[in-house]
Amino acid sequence: MNDNIKRLAYFLISIFAVLVVYLGYLNVVVGPKLFTDPHNRRLAAAEKGMIRGTIYDRQDVVLAEDRVDKGVKKRVYPFGQATAHLLGFVSQRYGRTGLESTFDSHLLALDDAGKIQALVDRVLGRQRYGYDITLSVDSRLQRKAATLLGGKRGAVVALDPRTGAVLAMSSWPSFDPETIEDVVKTDKVNKNGKLADVNVTSYDMLQRQADAAPLLNRAARGIYPPGSIFKVITGAALLESKPQLLSNKECQGSTTVDGFVLKDTGVHGNVDFNTAMAVSCNTYFAEQALDLGEANLKKAAASFGLNLIGYDSSGRIRGDYPVTGGEIAFNPGTMPSSGMGGAELASTAIGQGRTLVSPFQMAMVAAGVANGGNIMKPYTLETVTSKNGRTIYKKPGPEVFASAISPRTAGLLAEAMEQCVKSGTGAQASVQGVRVAGKTGSAQNPHGQTHAWFIGFAPVENPAIAVAVVVENAGGGGNVAAPVARELIRQYLKQ
Amino acid sequence: MAFRESGRGYEIKLLVLAGLYLAAGAAAAYLWAGGDPRTYVIGVAAPALAFLLVAVIFQALKFKADPFLLPVVAVLSYTSLVMLYRINQFYAVRQFVWVLAGLAFMFLTTRLFTNYRRLSDYKYIYGLMGAVALIIPIFFGIEEGGAKSWLNFGAFHLQPSEFVKILVVLFLASFMSENRMVLTRDTVTIRGISFPGPRSWGPLLGMWGISLLLLVFQRDLGTALIYFGTFLAMVYVATARMLYIGVGLILFMGGGTLSYFLFSHVRQRVDIWLLNPYNFIELGDRAYNQAYQIVQSLFAIGAGGLTGTGLGGGYPLFIPAVHTDFIFSAITEEMGLLGGVGIIVLYVFFIFRGFKIALESRDDFSKLMAAGLTALMALQSFTIIAGVTKLLPLTGVTLPFISYGGSSLLANFIILGMLLNISHEANAHE
Repeated sequence: MNDNIKRLAYFLISIFAVLVVYLGYLNVVVGPKLFTDPHNRRLAAAEKGMIRGTIYDRQDVVLAEDRVDKGVKKRVYPFGQATAHLLGFVSQRYGRTGLESTFDSHLLALDDAGKIQALVDRVLGRQRYGYDITLSVDSRLQRKAATLLGGKRGAVVALDPRTGAVLAMSSWPSFDPETIEDVVKTDKVNKNGKLADVNVTSYDMLQRQADAAPLLNRAARGIYPPGSIFKVITGAALLESKPQLLSNKECQGSTTVDGFVLKDTGVHGNVDFNTAMAVSCNTYFAEQALDLGEANLKKAAASFGLNLIGYDSSGRIRGDYPVTGGEIAFNPGTMPSSGMGGAELASTAIGQGRTLVSPFQMAMVAAGVANGGNIMKPYTLETVTSKNGRTIYKKPGPEVFASAISPRTAGLLAEAMEQCVKSGTGAQASVQGVRVAGKTGSAQNPHGQTHAWFIGFAPVENPAIAVAVVVENAGGGGNVAAPVARELIRQYLKQ
Repeated sequence: MAFRESGRGYEIKLLVLAGLYLAAGAAAAYLWAGGDPRTYVIGVAAPALAFLLVAVIFQALKFKADPFLLPVVAVLSYTSLVMLYRINQFYAVRQFVWVLAGLAFMFLTTRLFTNYRRLSDYKYIYGLMGAVALIIPIFFGIEEGGAKSWLNFGAFHLQPSEFVKILVVLFLASFMSENRMVLTRDTVTIRGISFPGPRSWGPLLGMWGISLLLLVFQRDLGTALIYFGTFLAMVYVATARMLYIGVGLILFMGGGTLSYFLFSHVRQRVDIWLLNPYNFIELGDRAYNQAYQIVQSLFAIGAGGLTGTGLGGGYPLFIPAVHTDFIFSAITEEMGLLGGVGIIVLYVFFIFRGFKIALESRDDFSKLMAAGLTALMALQSFTIIAGVTKLLPLTGVTLPFISYGGSSLLANFIILGMLLNISHEANAHE
């Protein structure tokens, strides 16, 4: 009987061992994520008794801080609407969004050292402070991006391709993060036969604008058809998979695939790879893609981080739209995982079809080409510092997010994209004395004029900035989006 | 292991250390909550001295029981007093009384049932008592926390199933030690494979029936799980028949699955368990509200970090029913992973000593009873800790010696007394 008792004891003690390991996992690995969950009431509770950390940009310009005026604490955002989507807001009523939510644990000093400090401060009756954080964001570029969008719906993302640092992320229309809880009017609402006053806040008003969707961060969570900027990915697929296929094609102004006529912007004649990229020749990329095959195109798209997902019969995505996590959660580009057939393959190659992308995703594509094929992991947090100057966190060296293409492919793509800006559709992105590479896009969509797209980077010899610009229903990428990119590049490289 | 005369010395020294632990907890509570210092002095001195007094009497009586169990239980009870004081002083005051009463019950158990083997003669009497005690709440019981397993006595509520669990172990130990040969040998061979014979199935089906009864009529999923688990553990100790255990598990799972489809409260618990808890942002608001309790518990655990927020620094009151089922989450929030693991280690130590007593006992009845009581304690503490951490579906049972509640505390102290008796008996004849 003793052997049985021993075995039972081993079993019962080992389930407790499992419990300890699981508790450790829950507490240490999942814990921080649970803590900063916007549903967690601890965040609001912790905030009441303390001064939330200040957010600085890369030049130590204040982006957000707590100010106490006559005993009332208020979160102030000096850049207002220009940083609203990037930073988000903190509200008792409407939760927590943006980087304010992402970095809650720092801004409220919720790490172990902070907790001990909180205990000491509470015993001594001292004011408690959260940690200050410094972002990789450039506030001048951020403001410039908002100005350049000029009130039009759209988004701008700028990255440092060498490190993955987010330099700017702007979305328009925007909102004022300081006033979202303010009551703007009182509605009379019929409640059980009685008229009752219901306060309507700025946030309610913003939510009612379903079409303009000012609360939506278009830069990270807006999804658009890519149009011709997708040719960068198609080009990468061609150069990676079948470089020997890169024979010239004869462009007659249109091409017919399985009875489906694909129009071109003009008759480009006999075009090679670089010319095709420069003039954005649909015929060239569609015909090359047919030679290349669907699998190779999808492989290249996936290597840039696009997701292949299922669609149901009505053409809608099955399940939720995927989200790539990180400091800034963004929608990765998506392509249908099911077979395409010739006509769809040809239109996918030129950025129509069912492919959808976010500006953030496309900025990463541009950054990958700029950085010799390696997409660096995007980040915003440079340092975290306590009130007394102790460094809590410092961004370690850059991390590779994905090795999308070979350095050789990246070099050839950069050359073709440079030609696009020098002598092609991207001419309006050119900056005096700087080698700029880029690609325009004018994405057809059911809502009117084309979406104007531009992705690119500069300087070509040593890229310091990669950008993605989209302006909704504004016309051609070359006329509308390329100038925005030009001004951003000019401003950033001038500094 | 032979009992050494210094054993009681260990016990007293460890209890002094435990007393210091309580004093430190009270000091922290005083700094945090303030109030009349005399309350704290009494709150520390009375339990600490009571435990010491018991140890000193044990020494005087040359009681040869295991010297480590009492200090472990003392630390668990002290943790309970400190945490409850922090959560709600009203509960702490009542728990204070229950701890002292429990200690008295434990002492009485060691005095009255020193010759506990006699108990095996009356097994059918308390088998019947247990059954009656379980059935009464079905008709006269009141509902608390979703389980209809309580009797209302005006000044306090009593949960019979807490006491019946001791009777169940006693009955099973008597029955199995008497019929062990039958249970082991009774075999039917079908196509060359040996199956337990018909006479062995009776007790299995009987226990299964009692567990289902609890589940169906008292809606007490956790207690049903613990009863049946303890039964299987004891059957294993008595017979080592894995096939029997396997059939038992299948029966239990069958019952569980059936109740999943029949009872909404069971279904709800399991559905919540199946939700992905670590991505509540993407979870709809409805699902979030359904899982509110367990989500709050996980938030509390996640808030603890390695060292915790410190006593009074967390927000355990965000968790509903934190003083009973969810007290472990509160401990982990304020004392951190280290505190939570510390509590688990104390239970493991209790279980280790319990099984050691079973191994050292010299007759089947004692072995089965010690192993059964220890398995009961292990399963109960595991079930609730795994429940509040969402390792298993949540079932409302108390965390032994820590959760607020008189019935549970008294029953657990009686179990402690029984284990000490068995230990004394084993050591006395060395």
